[in-house]
Amino acid sequence: MEIEEKLSVLNYKTDKGFEHITVTPDICEVCPDYFCTFACPAKCYTVMEGKLNFKYEDCVECGTCLFACSHGSVKWNNVKGGHGVKYKYG
Amino acid sequence: MSEFDAIIVGAGPAGSSAAIKLASSGLTTLLVEKADPPGSKNVSGGIMWGNELGGVLPDWEKDAPLERYVISKGTGLLTSDSLISVDFRSRKFESRKTGYSVLRAKFDQYLANKAKSKGATLVTGVTVDGLALKDGKVAGVIQEGDEITADTVILAEGVNPRVAISSGLRPEIGDKDVAIGVKQVVKLSEATINERFNIRGNSGFAGEYVLGFLKNGVKAGGFLYTNKETISVGAVINVGTLRADNETHSFEIMDQFVNHPFISPYLEGGKMEEYSAHLVCEGGIGSVPKIYGDGYLIAGDAAGFSYSNGLIIQGINYAITSGIAAADTVIEAKSKSNFSSGMLRGYEDRLQGKYVLKDLKKFRGIEEVTWSNLAHKALPDIAEETLFNLFYEEGIPKRHLMEIVLSATKKSGVKKTDMILEAYRTMRRM
Repeated sequence: MEIEEKLSVLNYKTDKGFEHITVTPDICEVCPDYFCTFACPAKCYTVMEGKLNFKYEDCVECGTCLFACSHGSVKWNNVKGGHGVKYKYG
Repeated sequence: MSEFDAIIVGAGPAGSSAAIKLASSGLTTLLVEKADPPGSKNVSGGIMWGNELGGVLPDWEKDAPLERYVISKGTGLLTSDSLISVDFRSRKFESRKTGYSVLRAKFDQYLANKAKSKGATLVTGVTVDGLALKDGKVAGVIQEGDEITADTVILAEGVNPRVAISSGLRPEIGDKDVAIGVKQVVKLSEATINERFNIRGNSGFAGEYVLGFLKNGVKAGGFLYTNKETISVGAVINVGTLRADNETHSFEIMDQFVNHPFISPYLEGGKMEEYSAHLVCEGGIGSVPKIYGDGYLIAGDAAGFSYSNGLIIQGINYAITSGIAAADTVIEAKSKSNFSSGMLRGYEDRLQGKYVLKDLKKFRGIEEVTWSNLAHKALPDIAEETLFNLFYEEGIPKRHLMEIVLSATKKSGVKKTDMILEAYRTMRRM
């Protein structure tokens, strides 16, 4: 089962007005490792044509990317109340 | 005059236990949770060990949403081809239940509602943005620019405590403080689960495994827990070795575990109903910050309270015990109208007297044992080679067991000096 299919089972209340995680493109552009793409369990970080892509919509708010990035690119906030991932089992 | 005696940030096991205790003692308590409903952002492997809840809810075993009690505790080493395991089953666990599998969305909601029924004000779907300060002391919380005041704030935000960190009350988390947890909940019928795990009624299985088959030095553990009609299966991944490898995806480790030839039969035909990820507190005493100060206390995962030695992972019990100790401290502080650091120090004293800080101190350095080369590489390979040679009959003169072990040890490729050092560490620290 691919990770995309696994994530499609989840319920999210996406906050269209607030991205709780932001990255700094200038820093990512020269990243030597892209460890975020290996560490993030929800595959929110991918590299396409040598460029980092980040999508916050699939984020399960685990916090991994916050310390996975050792270059200071990731800014991490809690989602605004009631938004984000909503687990049925947990 | 503050609006509340206490504000608790986070309605997980630590926060809700504190709220139940505070509200039961007549203190005005505000319990704030960013998820709606409470628990819907929380994940744990799924076993709650111990009887800590009895401290605030004497009847919890009768009315809490518990899945199964652990009658069978498994520990295993997995290599690509083999599973070497111990499955300890005992009827003693029937009369003296020690662990229950729980699903946090339901379980945490139950606890939060208990706090509400005892008189706490429960606010869900509200994210606390920061702490309100007055004369350098914590005096409440800030939410959407509004200040809500309290004599004491208990930060029970969980493993990624943004408020505590952004307020400078504890450092940012790093590779050594946490592991990456990934989990799947797989639906199967109750009868199928009973049959596959050889269990009956509401008894259950809890197993932890060393994933010795991982490549490039990556280290991770796997877990397999039975719920009533689902199985919780997942992996806990060491960050440092994943980083050093920089080729393996965290979510692939999950797949490697569930597709292992001796794990997949348990899950066969099941429907994957939920995928989740959460950090796991792993840093031991080295990750515990100062847990009290003027007007605040830190409890549960936010304080780094958890215990793991590779054979067992515990956290919920530490959360509950610390939550109750925090509440007891606030109750005493209230009776003396003194919410200073000197008064709230009583929290640490309480935890020193309990297993929470005693264990963390006694098992200082246990995380090095949990993630040692000995446990993750040498032991699985040596055990496999030894047992295979012991049980494989090829019609040639037999060797003494010691000879087999020694040749298997040599074959494992782990340096003898490293192995002796790590074996010594394991004996001392485990």
